[in-house]
Amino acid sequence: MAPNARKRKAATRDAPAESGSEEELANGLFDGILSHSEDESGVSPDEDAESEASSVIGGLSDEDDEEEDEEEAEEEGGNEADIREQLRNLKTTDHPSKRIVSDAILTNAHDSVTNGELDGQEDEDPKPNYTVAIDANGNPRYLYNEIDPVYDSDDSDAPATTNTIGNIPLSYYDKYPHIGYDINGRKIMRPAKGEALDALLDSIDIPKGWTGLTDPATGKPLNLSEEELDVLKKLTRNEIVEEGYDPYPEMVYYFSGKQEIMPLSAAPEPKRRFVPSKHEAKRVMKIVKAIREGRIQPYKPPGEEDDEEERIYYDVWADEKPRPENSMHLPAPKLPPPGYDASYHPPPEYLPDKAEKEAWLAADEEDREKDYLPANYDALRKVPGYERFVKERFERSLDLYLAPRVRRNKLNIDPESLLPKLPNPDDLKPFPTTCAAIFRGQQGRVRSVSIDPHGVFLASGGDDGFVRIWELLTGREVWQARLSDEDAVDTVKWRPDTECSILAAAAGETIYLVVPFTILSPDMEQHSRDVLDAGWGYAASKPSSTTNGAIKEPPGKWSRPGSSLEHKGVLVQVTVRSMVKVINWHRKGDYFATVSPRGQSTAVAIHTLSKHLTQLPFRRLKGIAQTAQFHPSKAIFFVATRNTIRSYDLAKQELVKILQPGAKWISSIDVHPGGDNIIVGTYDKRLLWHDLDLSTKPYKTLRFHQEAIRAVRFHQGGLPLFADASDDGSLQIFHGKVVGDLMENATIVPLKVLRGHKVKSRLGAMDVEWHPREPWCVSAGADGTCRLWN
Amino acid sequence: MGRIKKKGISGAAKNYITRSRAVKKLQISLPDFRRLCIFKGIYPREPRKKKKVSKGSTAATTFYYTKDVQYLLHEPLLAKFREHKAVAKKIARALGRGEAGDAARLEKNLIPKIKLDHLVKERYPTFIDALRDLDDALSMLFLFASLPSSQHVPAKTISLCQRLCHEFEHYVIVSHSLRKSFLSIKGIYYQATIQGQDILWLVPYRFVQRTGGDIDFRIMGTFVEFYTTLLGFVNYRLYTSIGLVYPPKFNAKVDEQGGELGAFQLEGKGVSTNGNTTNGDKPVVVNPEAQAIADKIATLPGTEEAESETEALAPVDGDEEENTEGIDKFETTAPDADILPQPQVTGAEAASLFAGMVFYISREAPKAPLEFILPAFGCKRVGWDASLGDGAYTTNESDPSITHQIVDRPALSDAEAMAVPETTNGGAAAFKAQWPRSTMPGRTYVQPQWVWDCINQGKLLRPDIYAPGAELPPHLSPWVKPKKGEYDPNLPLQLQEPEVEALEEVEEDEEDEEAASDAKDASSIESGDDMAAIVDRDSSVEAGEGMDVVSSADEEEDSESDADAGADEWEGFESDAESDVSEGEAARIRHQRELEAEATGMAIEPEAQTTKSKNAALRKKAVKKRREEEEERERQKMMLSNKKRKLLKRIEYGSNKRDTEAENLRRKRRRIEKAKAAANAV
Repeated sequence: MAPNARKRKAATRDAPAESGSEEELANGLFDGILSHSEDESGVSPDEDAESEASSVIGGLSDEDDEEEDEEEAEEEGGNEADIREQLRNLKTTDHPSKRIVSDAILTNAHDSVTNGELDGQEDEDPKPNYTVAIDANGNPRYLYNEIDPVYDSDDSDAPATTNTIGNIPLSYYDKYPHIGYDINGRKIMRPAKGEALDALLDSIDIPKGWTGLTDPATGKPLNLSEEELDVLKKLTRNEIVEEGYDPYPEMVYYFSGKQEIMPLSAAPEPKRRFVPSKHEAKRVMKIVKAIREGRIQPYKPPGEEDDEEERIYYDVWADEKPRPENSMHLPAPKLPPPGYDASYHPPPEYLPDKAEKEAWLAADEEDREKDYLPANYDALRKVPGYERFVKERFERSLDLYLAPRVRRNKLNIDPESLLPKLPNPDDLKPFPTTCAAIFRGQQGRVRSVSIDPHGVFLASGGDDGFVRIWELLTGREVWQARLSDEDAVDTVKWRPDTECSILAAAAGETIYLVVPFTILSPDMEQHSRDVLDAGWGYAASKPSSTTNGAIKEPPGKWSRPGSSLEHKGVLVQVTVRSMVKVINWHRKGDYFATVSPRGQSTAVAIHTLSKHLTQLPFRRLKGIAQTAQFHPSKAIFFVATRNTIRSYDLAKQELVKILQPGAKWISSIDVHPGGDNIIVGTYDKRLLWHDLDLSTKPYKTLRFHQEAIRAVRFHQGGLPLFADASDDGSLQIFHGKVVGDLMENATIVPLKVLRGHKVKSRLGAMDVEWHPREPWCVSAGADGTCRLWN
Repeated sequence: MGRIKKKGISGAAKNYITRSRAVKKLQISLPDFRRLCIFKGIYPREPRKKKKVSKGSTAATTFYYTKDVQYLLHEPLLAKFREHKAVAKKIARALGRGEAGDAARLEKNLIPKIKLDHLVKERYPTFIDALRDLDDALSMLFLFASLPSSQHVPAKTISLCQRLCHEFEHYVIVSHSLRKSFLSIKGIYYQATIQGQDILWLVPYRFVQRTGGDIDFRIMGTFVEFYTTLLGFVNYRLYTSIGLVYPPKFNAKVDEQGGELGAFQLEGKGVSTNGNTTNGDKPVVVNPEAQAIADKIATLPGTEEAESETEALAPVDGDEEENTEGIDKFETTAPDADILPQPQVTGAEAASLFAGMVFYISREAPKAPLEFILPAFGCKRVGWDASLGDGAYTTNESDPSITHQIVDRPALSDAEAMAVPETTNGGAAAFKAQWPRSTMPGRTYVQPQWVWDCINQGKLLRPDIYAPGAELPPHLSPWVKPKKGEYDPNLPLQLQEPEVEALEEVEEDEEDEEAASDAKDASSIESGDDMAAIVDRDSSVEAGEGMDVVSSADEEEDSESDADAGADEWEGFESDAESDVSEGEAARIRHQRELEAEATGMAIEPEAQTTKSKNAALRKKAVKKRREEEEERERQKMMLSNKKRKLLKRIEYGSNKRDTEAENLRRKRRRIEKAKAAANAV
């Protein structure tokens, strides 16, 4: 049966191909085939329209069914196992639904096919909805036409049943070519298998040269012959189109060694081919000659011994000429010869003790002063090898080529030559060296001390408001008076006159003139009182009034202190406008100058004792006045502000000189008895010596104190000494010799540091004062004591 | 107005060049540059104004002098280096292809041979220059001569070094130019004076050297390469200058048997070889003219040396005083005089030191240095144990001609000496004098140090101090010149310690003793702490206060004491308060005692001046003096300007360091001496 079907197919194949349009080629052709393969059933056009999209597949699968049917018929059970497997696979695949759908299509298609058959059969009937058939039992059976669900049909959504056999094993159908029945009672054939498909495809014959293209020139289908297709194929493969072209032909040797029968040239063989070459002989002879003469040595492989033969020594310095020394050339410094401690058996003192050894071992290699540790061996045979030998040599060679060489000047200066030649200390004697007496009894700081012109008494004033007078040699207090309850006594100063004995002291804004009559002889007391009293009434008789008659407040008010003070000997008090810090007497004792740094225009005042008169020499002063002093011999007045010193000629009333010590804050100055030199003490720890003839800048700057300098003082009695007192509690005594010769500078020699005062609240020695004749000095300390140094 | 000068165009900025720039300029690799620098003796410089040179950057860089580098550009070696590089590339390629045979052939045939001959003349234009720079060369070559061969140090180099060193030693021996030698813990130092140049070199002891760690043998090898060339030419010149043929005959067979120096055979110029060196006789100069020339060159004043040489050959027993032609020794009479340098030992003296003696070196003594030193100082015949190698004058220890034997083993005790010899000698017919079992009569046995001490002092020392087993005197370096203020181990301690130190020491001793004996009156002795208290300012202040009290109590006494003190110490610049008071106190006590004596009518017994109190007084005085000096110095320093003060500080730093060092040594010695004295007393 199957071969029949094939034959049939082959017979009917050509006809539709010839008449079919493109669409037919795509769809109708196969449908036609299918329908032909079906037993005598026509194609219903509506069926065609119904499943256009899936028709190919459907058709194919139907075909398969068909084929399978046939094959199944041939070999019954052989393929059944395969089918079962396939169905199982269908069930177990991941997309069962999809397969189910496709199954549904299959069945539908099948249905349609059968339906079509029937339609074809009964087209002529006046359209009963069914046909009557005889079933197996001979009973009429109504075969209804398939319901065509039109587009609007509700039924369109009904799920297509796939499994029509229900829940029974598939094996029940093993014997049959179909599996179950469809809704119309028709057999559902088994799905087609691969072999069947192949067979189908084999049976379909595509016409020769069919391309599926249309020849644009003729509009006919374009057919290509085999050759043409071959050309196209080669072109797409980038091959040479020409048939039979060989890209790698065998080489043909044109000039082969084979003797041709006919030579190219007929010339006879030349003679030179048979005669030995003269030129060659010449060249060979040349070489032979060279070899004979020894110019060409036969090759000998270079051996070991020629290395040594290479070392040929000769006198390099045969014609030596010393090269002029180049300053840039530095020969390598030689290593120093070994010292005693490098010996294998050194003196025992060179051996390191335990601590030294440990220190050496602990030290880093670079930090060691010596790179070996001295060791002692009592016999030469016991000396071990030196471990660092190679290393040291290596380091030396590194030094030789890697270390920059610098010529260093060795300091070959005798340190003694640096030190200045100082006068013989014996020549500088005497000067104070030790503390001879301590004056105790002051409460709080002692701010100022002064020795009377006779050199017997010492006056001191301090924070407790007392002025005390002491016997200088014994340190006994002989007189005291409390000048002020609240203010400290800032300064005390004896009047420089041996005839009488007057002490000026300042507490607050008031200056007191004291005659301590209890310790004076009656003559002297009387004299002193006379001096003080001479001025009474002078101020009253000449009241200071301006031209316009308005009475002006005098800068200083001279009056008598209270009776209690007068009883003590405080006879006169002068009140100025601001706190007085410094009093300095003129050498004759008639004038004294006071400085009160706070009062701007009234900072410096000059008081005339004989007239009880206070004058203000400066209407306006630049800077804050620190101290003022009279020239020891001339009518010159020195005023020190914070960083300058000005000297004024009192007679001519003009500025003479401005000194600039370069200090930040001057604390005190003192004028040399000769008058040409000034020493300046500053709070910035410097002591400056000014030579007035030399320059406005200091001649010497001495910085030996750790703290600020409070006071400086020249010895006024002819000894070349000066002293300063500092906050570090020490006094420094200097030798300061001024020679009359203008060409020679002053010699300044530090002599002695006197320490003794305790530093209290960062204050040490507050004041220093020389004895008028002896090389003694007295210092006032912040610790409440005064000290006499001799 | 001239043009404004641009920065970095001229001057220091142009005179110096950094190393990396130099390398770039020469277009060689850094190792090649290093080699070139070593060969040419070019070293980095330290520009005076570094910031200007490095254009403001302060990073640490190495600078070379530009002209030096410029001068390297023309060096023929540079071309050799480049050739070498090219061949190295070829070899590397061959090796990369696995053609080992090709590589070997290339290496054999194409590697350029570097010759450094021209550099010797270039670096040392005169022979004296070369001699001056021979220190490092000799030390390095002697070291390499004793190294084992390894990958970095080929055996050929070592044997070359050995040969050159031995040749040099032979010259030193022949010319008698060795002057000093010193056994240090590092090795043996030798100093030779050749043509007026002192050459000092160091030879390691014969041990395997430790070569591990970060030692780059390529660098050392480069140095050795140059030094071997240099020493070769120097040797040539030295040999020819004394009329010898330079490469002396080298007997490889003797050398193999440890013949070291003996493997060389010197021969005079134009004279055939003198044949027999088999008996180990030291190479003798055959040509008298050559000898004369040698002497002329070796020593400064020329002609009479030959005669003195012949004189020296006669046995000399210490009568150098007769020698009138030499320079007389000038000794200064006053210590403050300047010392003028005088020429030291001449070659003739050196040649006569061991003349006529026959030495025998025992098995344990170092043969190599002795074999070198002894002939250098005139000894013609040196024998040694056969185990020490070939070339000895005699290997027979019992040779009767031997006068001195150098041994480094202590003598055996009698019992041991008796016990062993019979078994070893086995009743040999000939009496074998074998240290330590027996001694030869008439032979001097010494330890090796004797030889060194003799040559350093220039005379034969007493051998009994150096007898075997004896405790040796310290071996001192001959190069240390005693300076003022430095410690000199040769002088007794008393001569060099300052007064104060000695006194302090005595004081300390006594204190120690007292501490030991638990003395009651410790108050009379002031320790160093008390001294410190005197110096302390506070105490002086307190003294002042005390004086205040005293003055109020009894003025008379005070004034007296004051006067006393004044009389005593007016010459002192500064009178110390405390001492014033204490001396015043002492005077008062004395006065009191006098009064008491007067009252009782007895004569005043003289105050028992114990040494202790005397010492104390002396010490006090010395201390005071020193302190005065110090204060004076301080005072002077106060007057210095800041600049000078800093300078002084720098100077004093060095001297202070020296002083403390010396003081430390003196202290140690004092302690040692004291311990020794104590041991002796016990």
